[in-house]
Amino acid sequence: MSRQIHLWAFLQGIGHYPSGWRHAGADPAGVFTMDYYRRIGQLCERGRFDAIVYGDQLQSRGAGGRTPERLAMPTLDPVPLLAAIGSVTEHIGLVATVSTTYNDVPALAERFATLDRITGGRAGWNIVTTAHPASAANFGAASFPEKAERYARAAEFVEQACELWDSAALPLPQGRPVLVQAGQSGDGRTFAARTAEAIFCPAATIEAGIAFRGDMRARIAAEGRDPDGVRIMPGLSFILAGSEAEAVAKDEALLALADEALCIEYLSESLACDLTVFDPAAPIPVEAILAATILPREDVARSLEKPAQEGLSLGEFASRYVRTPRGHNVFRGTPRQLADQMIAWIDAGACDGFTLQPAYMPGELELFVDEVVPLLQAAGRLRRDYPGRTLRASLGLAE
Amino acid sequence: MIVAVTIADPRLNDPAWASARLTQAEAAGVDILILGGPDSLPFDPLVLAAWAAPRCRRMHIVATVPASAAHPFHVARALSAIDFLCEGRSGWCPVPASAPAGMAEDMVAAARSLWDGWEPDTLIIDKASGRYLDSSKVKPSNYAGPFFMVTGPVNAMRPPQGHPLLVIDGACPLALEDADVALAGPGETAQAKQVLAKVAVGDPVPDGADGVHYALCDPEHDLAAIAILKGGAA
Repeated sequence: MSRQIHLWAFLQGIGHYPSGWRHAGADPAGVFTMDYYRRIGQLCERGRFDAIVYGDQLQSRGAGGRTPERLAMPTLDPVPLLAAIGSVTEHIGLVATVSTTYNDVPALAERFATLDRITGGRAGWNIVTTAHPASAANFGAASFPEKAERYARAAEFVEQACELWDSAALPLPQGRPVLVQAGQSGDGRTFAARTAEAIFCPAATIEAGIAFRGDMRARIAAEGRDPDGVRIMPGLSFILAGSEAEAVAKDEALLALADEALCIEYLSESLACDLTVFDPAAPIPVEAILAATILPREDVARSLEKPAQEGLSLGEFASRYVRTPRGHNVFRGTPRQLADQMIAWIDAGACDGFTLQPAYMPGELELFVDEVVPLLQAAGRLRRDYPGRTLRASLGLAE
Repeated sequence: MIVAVTIADPRLNDPAWASARLTQAEAAGVDILILGGPDSLPFDPLVLAAWAAPRCRRMHIVATVPASAAHPFHVARALSAIDFLCEGRSGWCPVPASAPAGMAEDMVAAARSLWDGWEPDTLIIDKASGRYLDSSKVKPSNYAGPFFMVTGPVNAMRPPQGHPLLVIDGACPLALEDADVALAGPGETAQAKQVLAKVAVGDPVPDGADGVHYALCDPEHDLAAIAILKGGAA
């Protein structure tokens, strides 16, 4: 049989474009209602996806104390949200992002155990260590731990959680939730190779996908695990239309909804510095940004170096920044072209499936399910029915 | 008269059993369903409350929350989500469990400070102008209590109810004067806007009580009995 494509929907907020919430096909108020999530859950099941993944942060937007006005906020806490989606669906996997840095092992283990039991074995845990220093102050922590320290804690944390699941008085339908990881750094890849059953990653090109998957499979084998027991699921953004030219025009229109004020707020978030106080027509205020940011200054300095040398104004830099895909594959074209590209990636060994990142919600995901899914099914690359009831069954992993 | 029930049965982990009890409780006219007891938590009540949200139309769904189970930042976010998902019918019953004295009260104060960091009409969501919210209506909490510290603002909207229904149990009362509902057994005192008398199914309602609370030992049987009582009263 031809290699099968696994599909995940990575949903956060109202879509992955910062201007996505302004699109006519977006439903920004819907993200606070159960009706919206019922519709999304059932849509993903109609597309025969393995899972819905929700990202998470442990800090609000608003570096420097000012909450941005033009960015849609992160919405609902992923564990309760996915439990509610699980209540109105039968097959879709429910992958919640939860940090090992600001949780306790027994409470977190019980959260996932309850989620797995009440949804009949559909829980997944996207293990993160939390990267934003502003999180610390929300937990009364005086300082934010270094990356190596966070990963060391994560490894211990996961081990202890697995012990609790393995010895639970009320066993989990899946034994354990499916363990998911998204690290790209050396620490992240090592952790994923030891722990993860599914890996989410950016891969902008087929070559990048082949390289990442090859590296991860070698690392997994070196840890004594079977690489075929791990699904590699790079991100995929897409803009679909009846022709390539129309898709490009649609993408441009969507990006044009990101006006200069929105772009500056978006860049403020990425640099953890309130840029709305500066003149957008003036040169990038490099020294002021470096003095104000709470992110590692060398990282911020590196990202400012090139645009500052080019003499861009702050507004120009911000507008360009919003339009730069951060390592993920951004497809613009027809449903047929996208289906062909997905099959080409799978056959080249660039991935085991895709983590779909719709530009805006729910419109663009509905287009994918209506237009691309039937093509993948007709090509024999996507199941027409679910193989079982659990997330492990959908992923084709040992139960 | 308000009718509240507590179910702490481990069978609530089973979706078929849990679903049947939710249907039964709503049909019986239960107003407040409390998931988990002060000493009995064979599941995570916040997860079950979220799962129950789309299955109920009129009951308040209350999660028992031990003071030491999670930081109030997590608890406030989870309850905000549940309150949206059940359209303003969420609640919580913080209990000290094995936590030191004062920790549950600190949890309540910290969570309230986070919910209050967002004013009710913060969101604008105007596609035409591109304004999503009014930033002047979002404030950090800068909360510092004896056990918990949290800067905020929390990355969760103010719940539709403002604050989810706060229930306190007279068996382990919190030093709070403004809870919404208190459950009081014989000899227990707990202050709240509404006080419900803990009784056995079929017992008379004590004078002065705003309603009754039943701890269900045999939920299927007890809910059937409550349905008959409510039917008889109507």
